[in-house]
Amino acid sequence: MSDSKPIDRAEGVCPIIDIDYRIDRPAFETYASLNELREQAPVLYNRTPFNGYWMVTRYDLVKEALQRPDVFNNKLVSALGDPSQHLYLIPQNLDGKAHVAVRHVVNPWFSPLSVKRIEPLARERAIAMIEELAPKGSCNMTNEFAMLYATEMFLAMLGLPVEDGAMMLPLVEEIFHGFFGGDPEDQAKAADEIKQYFDAVIDDRLATPGDLGTDFVTFLLNSNMDDEPFSRENILTLCMTIMLAGLDTTRSALGFIFLHLATHEDDRLTLIDHPERIPDAVEEFVRLYALVIQDGRYVAQDVDFHGCPMRKGDVMWLGLAQANRDPRKFDRPDEFVLDRDSNKHMGFGIGQHRCLGAHLARTELIIVLEEWLARIPEFRLDTTDPLTERGGQLMLKSVPLAWSV
Amino acid sequence: MRLRVDGNLCSGQGRCYLRAPELLESDDEGFVTIRGGSIEVPPELRDAADRAVNACPEDAISLTDD
Repeated sequence: MSDSKPIDRAEGVCPIIDIDYRIDRPAFETYASLNELREQAPVLYNRTPFNGYWMVTRYDLVKEALQRPDVFNNKLVSALGDPSQHLYLIPQNLDGKAHVAVRHVVNPWFSPLSVKRIEPLARERAIAMIEELAPKGSCNMTNEFAMLYATEMFLAMLGLPVEDGAMMLPLVEEIFHGFFGGDPEDQAKAADEIKQYFDAVIDDRLATPGDLGTDFVTFLLNSNMDDEPFSRENILTLCMTIMLAGLDTTRSALGFIFLHLATHEDDRLTLIDHPERIPDAVEEFVRLYALVIQDGRYVAQDVDFHGCPMRKGDVMWLGLAQANRDPRKFDRPDEFVLDRDSNKHMGFGIGQHRCLGAHLARTELIIVLEEWLARIPEFRLDTTDPLTERGGQLMLKSVPLAWSV
Repeated sequence: MRLRVDGNLCSGQGRCYLRAPELLESDDEGFVTIRGGSIEVPPELRDAADRAVNACPEDAISLTDD
């Protein structure tokens, strides 16, 4: 039995589907499709890509699985990648004590207190960029403002020169492409280039240490993991991982948020009149528009999970976006509801691997909304063409906005 | 009333102290300072305690009458 293919074990036990979530779709179709599957069954088997995966769709089950790292481990973190061409990530791919040890080191760097340190700069840059755009009367939110802002903030948080962003973004894009169907060799090459960049930073900081409190690489060079200094390889992997995790998500979130505000005047007016509600709005946006639609996991030990015979090594899809729109958990789940009494969304993941950069992401999104709505309160979607979203990890490819000047 | 935070379930989401800053705060790592412990909730802060409970996706926080 344990040698049998998961698809054979799924036969007759749960619905078997064949849908590729790596591909581009018209905007919001991914959520619609995922909603449909959640209502079809709590667990399904999807045969695409590669050997397929068990797809867990409902809030309670997704939560249960994410809080059981002994049963579902992190040797794999996306159900959509090629398991044989695996790009190693830290801390994502660590389990147990090794994971706790790394998080113990890096958590303080991304804590609310640390994020406060860059808040003045985050606000200053947001204001400058918005004021530069305002007289133009239009911009492409995703490709212009959001991409630039997210990159600058990531670099500022790590104490690196913001000018380096232009060189990094195409490499980050290539790596994401590799996660979701692109050429694994191109992905490996892009990862190597990012590591070369950080390799040079390490050499520089070894020769001339930076400030321990503001320069991330200097901080890592002086930190221990379980009483051992971080190896150069681990520092490189960690820096690359944080870059991958931080840039794409924040940019994508801004795309969905500004599309929503451009097309939902009532919500926009509420936030203009009540900027103090913006933090709650950001939390609700993160629920409604989960970009990381799934956390992947390997089955670590044979388990009968809600009637499905899972065996060690099977691939899991734990549906964060499906959980966030589960009507069993949220009233009016497909709507933006600012006044939710309870909003236990999983937009930043849950369990011990919850998003390291969540506090930074929140702060960035809050600041952009506050400063944008104060300066460009009226804006609209500047196209009648259908919008497209990238598969894998969702991102609107383009969100053209326009306003009167 | 006591507000308890389960030390095994708390993952440092930070949503409790963001929603109830009058009652809870962050430690250096971003975990709520009472992770693995509890505090007495004065009656006037009952609403804040409820907000914290209702914001935690880990269900790590509970409010009890003792």
